[in-house]
Amino acid sequence: MAGAALEPRPTSVAEALRAARRQAGTYNGIWSWIATVDHKRIGMMYGGTAFLFFLIGGIEALVMRLQLATPNGTIVDADQFNRLFTMHGTTMVFLVVMPLSAAFFNLLIPLMIGARDVAFPRLNAFSYWVFLSGGLFIMSSFLTGNPNGTIFEGHLGAPDAGWFGYAPLTLPQYSGGHGVDYWALGLVILGVSSMAGGFNFAVTIINMRAPGMTLFKMPLFVWMTLVTSFLIIFAMPVITVGLFELLFDRLFNANFFNVQAGGTPLLWQHMFWLFGHPEVYILILPAMGIVSEVLPTFSRKPLFGYPFVVFSGVAIGFMSWGVWAHHMYTTGLGSIANSAFGISTILIAIPTGIKIFNWLGTLWGGSISMKTPLMFSLGFIAMFTIGGLTGVTHSVVPSDYQQQDTYYVVAHFHQVLFGGALFGLFSGIYYWFPKFTGKMLNEKIGQLHFWLMFAGFNLTFQPMMILGLLGMPRRISTYSDGYGWGFWNMMATVGAFMIAASILTFIINVVVSMRSKERAGNDPWDARTLEWTIPSPPPAYNFAEIPVVTALDDFWHKKYIEKESGVVVPAMAGAANGEEHHGDGHGIHLPSPSYWPFVAALGPVIMAFGFIYDFALVPAGAVILLIGIYAWALEPATEPE
Amino acid sequence: MRLGRLSVRYVLFAALLLLSVLLFSGCGVFSSPQNTFAPEGEVAKMQRDLFVIVMIPALLIMIGVFAAMIYIVVRFRRRSDSDPIPEQVHGNTRLELTWTILPTILLIGIAVPTLWGVIKLGNQPGAEALHVTVVGSQWQWTYEYTDAEFLDANGDPLITTEFYIPVDRDIALEIEALDVLHSFWIPKIAGKTDAVPGRSNDMWFRADSPGTYAGQCAEFCGIGHPQMKAELIALEPGEFEAWAQEQMSGEPGGDGAETPESPTASP
Repeated sequence: MAGAALEPRPTSVAEALRAARRQAGTYNGIWSWIATVDHKRIGMMYGGTAFLFFLIGGIEALVMRLQLATPNGTIVDADQFNRLFTMHGTTMVFLVVMPLSAAFFNLLIPLMIGARDVAFPRLNAFSYWVFLSGGLFIMSSFLTGNPNGTIFEGHLGAPDAGWFGYAPLTLPQYSGGHGVDYWALGLVILGVSSMAGGFNFAVTIINMRAPGMTLFKMPLFVWMTLVTSFLIIFAMPVITVGLFELLFDRLFNANFFNVQAGGTPLLWQHMFWLFGHPEVYILILPAMGIVSEVLPTFSRKPLFGYPFVVFSGVAIGFMSWGVWAHHMYTTGLGSIANSAFGISTILIAIPTGIKIFNWLGTLWGGSISMKTPLMFSLGFIAMFTIGGLTGVTHSVVPSDYQQQDTYYVVAHFHQVLFGGALFGLFSGIYYWFPKFTGKMLNEKIGQLHFWLMFAGFNLTFQPMMILGLLGMPRRISTYSDGYGWGFWNMMATVGAFMIAASILTFIINVVVSMRSKERAGNDPWDARTLEWTIPSPPPAYNFAEIPVVTALDDFWHKKYIEKESGVVVPAMAGAANGEEHHGDGHGIHLPSPSYWPFVAALGPVIMAFGFIYDFALVPAGAVILLIGIYAWALEPATEPE
Repeated sequence: MRLGRLSVRYVLFAALLLLSVLLFSGCGVFSSPQNTFAPEGEVAKMQRDLFVIVMIPALLIMIGVFAAMIYIVVRFRRRSDSDPIPEQVHGNTRLELTWTILPTILLIGIAVPTLWGVIKLGNQPGAEALHVTVVGSQWQWTYEYTDAEFLDANGDPLITTEFYIPVDRDIALEIEALDVLHSFWIPKIAGKTDAVPGRSNDMWFRADSPGTYAGQCAEFCGIGHPQMKAELIALEPGEFEAWAQEQMSGEPGGDGAETPESPTASP
């Protein structure tokens, strides 16, 4: 199988390959990254950037954990604490988990469906640059967001009204300075990036699958990406409208949320959670897709109940729109609304449970190889099970009146978003790392990473469940001695530093592994999907010839023949190469690199600074955006001859 | 590998132990003046009971899933790279139906007490209840006793910053806010209700025995949020009457921000 793509081919294909290589080398060094439209490079930039933001969000969490480790903590004051937890939530949701998922979409979707790139490669580059500029924009609020002075005078900037930004606390009379402006404008910018990505991947998956890959021959990760893309497309506009209303209130003295002028604060909560709950599934579905790819490979069995896993994912996508008010039971919606949303919350547990059972069914009877990617996937299933079950306890409305806004909820959603999403994403990193770097991540260090993270995670968040039931509310910067919360908080803090140590272990693993000389080969895990048929790292054009797909897990079926009895034998040597060359005369069309998406992405962030500091910058930013878009549209593409 | 599997078991076992100990709270690290598992009033008791009703099957399912996972991983682990490729099982419709229908039935079982609880808490107590309007502002609570016996000559209610109530009597609250969101919460007595500017949210509870019950604002409301406490002092009915008498005579037309001089009874 190794080197299949590089074997001598009919002249026309070889010509096409050479042309593609020439074209991919138009720019060199850093410029080749700024102008790149290659989905793999963009994916790696997404992943690297998100990981840096992850370190920042993690440091924020560690400071908070130090502050709360003992009663009457004095590490930070209330004002700084509020800014830290606001930024921790905003960073982890919008700048870490979402872009890490986007990194996987970028890296994997074209490879999994047998395409040369995404449908709109330049839009894809635009997505990334907008994400980067939006992220840096929000981060820059640390410098000057505080009404009392800059960070250089000792005043931490950054928004201070929570990642949920509940009105009316976000209005200027309650949150002075520009922190919340940064937050709202930054989220609008990031929304642009997510929307562009959502459309791009929906179109790519619907239109660009290799011949023969019908919807039900798509890998499960592709399905989950499709569902996630549609959730993004429909959810982002909702929060954008809410953010616009907030910005109108803050910048132009509108009164959407100002009660004295007839506004309604609850409107914000409805819009935020109508976005916010689908958002939870935007965060978790890609990880579910990753786990559904990892389990079959490492147990050498197809995914159990593939159509059921697909449809439960689709069902979750639809149902996620009908549960938002379970964030709002205590706001006085009334018995009828609370009952309805309690029941819809109960119902969404059913497709979630189906997924867990099918994953166990996949493992059952397999030949299970306990490598690091699988360990993270198993960790995902275990932690997500707890997250799901604690989610069911939230459907019991009366008892939720107690748990709402306590550490029990903090524990629950970290169980889903860290124990779930992040464990799944790490599983994916260990699984696909060899594909994109050509190097295996070190297995021993990987196991150490997993166990440190798993133990640290449980040590951090299970005590928080107890803290919540012991009546500790969220978002308090300190608590006094008499509440009996010190022991559990100390435990959580110790756990948080264990997680930090595990992340350090991961960084060491990446460094050590990248320096190793050992090559990973095309298919180190004996995997099942198309991306493993091509070299590691994949060439710019991905597939020398577009594959023809005949089955779900097509690559596996090329490697092994499944007898009627269910017994499996290896296919004849070379069979996996897809011996027939139907390559006569087809060229390899690759999108040409361009600077313009990068230029266009500078526009929104300049406009955003303009809204805060000087309106004159707003038209300037708009002009840059328009120039970027026009130039990108009119730039002649270099056609391979 | 062997070590790895053992530690999975230990970690899971420890987690289980923690959670189950929690259910029998009361000792040392499990006590707190805001412990929702040590209720002192009808509403909090019901909320605790409902939580336990759901938590027990949830724990059982969790144990089941974990046990299944560990069993599968131990039994079906790959012993050597030459192990044969397992039978390619693609699914089983009967199993799928089973694990769709069984959880559905279980979840319906959860829905019934949930609805019962929502309706019970949604009902307003009768006229014999003590009516208090609770107003949240950055960063304190004030209490307006709006029943006829607490009105002064001008028809203004008695206003205090300490919350005294009689035991064994329904207390009907209207929760309001002056500036930003707050949430009124006395964990041992009842779950929380948000104070939303421009709205008046209803809530009721009842305290079983005299005592001082700690609570605090549960909705983030700015830098004073951690200090926004809400203490509830439940008195025997007779003592409560005495306290009320003193308030009424001592403070004609209280203007909203004054603390009562010295409560007659401190239980």
